[in-house]
Amino acid sequence: MSETSRSRRLPLWLFWSLVTIVLWGTWGLVSKIASDGVDAYMNQLLFTVGIAPLLIFVSWKVRKGVAGENREGRNRGIFWAFLTGILGGVGNMAYFEAMVKGGKASVVTPVTALFPMVTVLLALIFLKERLGRLQWIGLGLAFVAIYLLNA
Amino acid sequence: MAWLGFAILALVLWGITGVTQKLSTNRISSERSFLWFCWAMVALSAAVVVIARPHWALGTTVAVFSIAGGALNGMGAWTSFKALESGGKASIVISLISLFPLLTVVLAVALLHERLTGMQMAGAVVAIAAAILLSLEPAPAKVGA
Repeated sequence: MSETSRSRRLPLWLFWSLVTIVLWGTWGLVSKIASDGVDAYMNQLLFTVGIAPLLIFVSWKVRKGVAGENREGRNRGIFWAFLTGILGGVGNMAYFEAMVKGGKASVVTPVTALFPMVTVLLALIFLKERLGRLQWIGLGLAFVAIYLLNA
Repeated sequence: MAWLGFAILALVLWGITGVTQKLSTNRISSERSFLWFCWAMVALSAAVVVIARPHWALGTTVAVFSIAGGALNGMGAWTSFKALESGGKASIVISLISLFPLLTVVLAVALLHERLTGMQMAGAVVAIAAAILLSLEPAPAKVGA
């Protein structure tokens, strides 16, 4: 199936978002089994071991050249991508540390899972994103769902 | 209450990453974005080995599942970069993909024979409604309308 024919039925951003849900949903199950006995630091190391094959594959792909890349903003783009990794990783450790310092998982997990609220706020201010009325309702419901599913 | 400070820190840092991801894919491909995201993880892991003292003793099962989890999580990070690169808004994509525990709950019931709690059942129903509404992009405004 070509990307053009798929995008007519399902926007590409939605397709990749659904793929992400499948991958992270499965990861959630796997980490349920693996979480016992792994501390924040070991978790970070094992995560890196897990992404190592992907890193090699993507390096090869990028070296072959990526179509449609804007060369002008490359350094800035790399900066933001690198920052994403650092902030995400430090966030993971802070999440683990919150539980080490006595926070109950039943409180810490649903509260921290509401991080998209921060993203929405920042995206509206800095990226000037505008949403439809139904999407606003969807956002409200999403925050309720995220809380309930993580509680 | 030190835990609360760390929880808020995680909330804020993860929240910011939604925007930095979008800022990245606005300028470079999802592949290159993911590549540098991975290098940041390598740098963090190197810092962890040097500064912190990870607890090395691990059972084989835990290690294998943790590494598999890392691979799945990493692939998900890549596809989330792809969603943003494909024109998805950070506010919508990040909120939508954060509904992934819906699938975890379904898989845990099907494969681990866990029982759904009332909260999870309510969460699942609301999550499906939320996902449908979030996916409804408004039609672009007509010029001169």
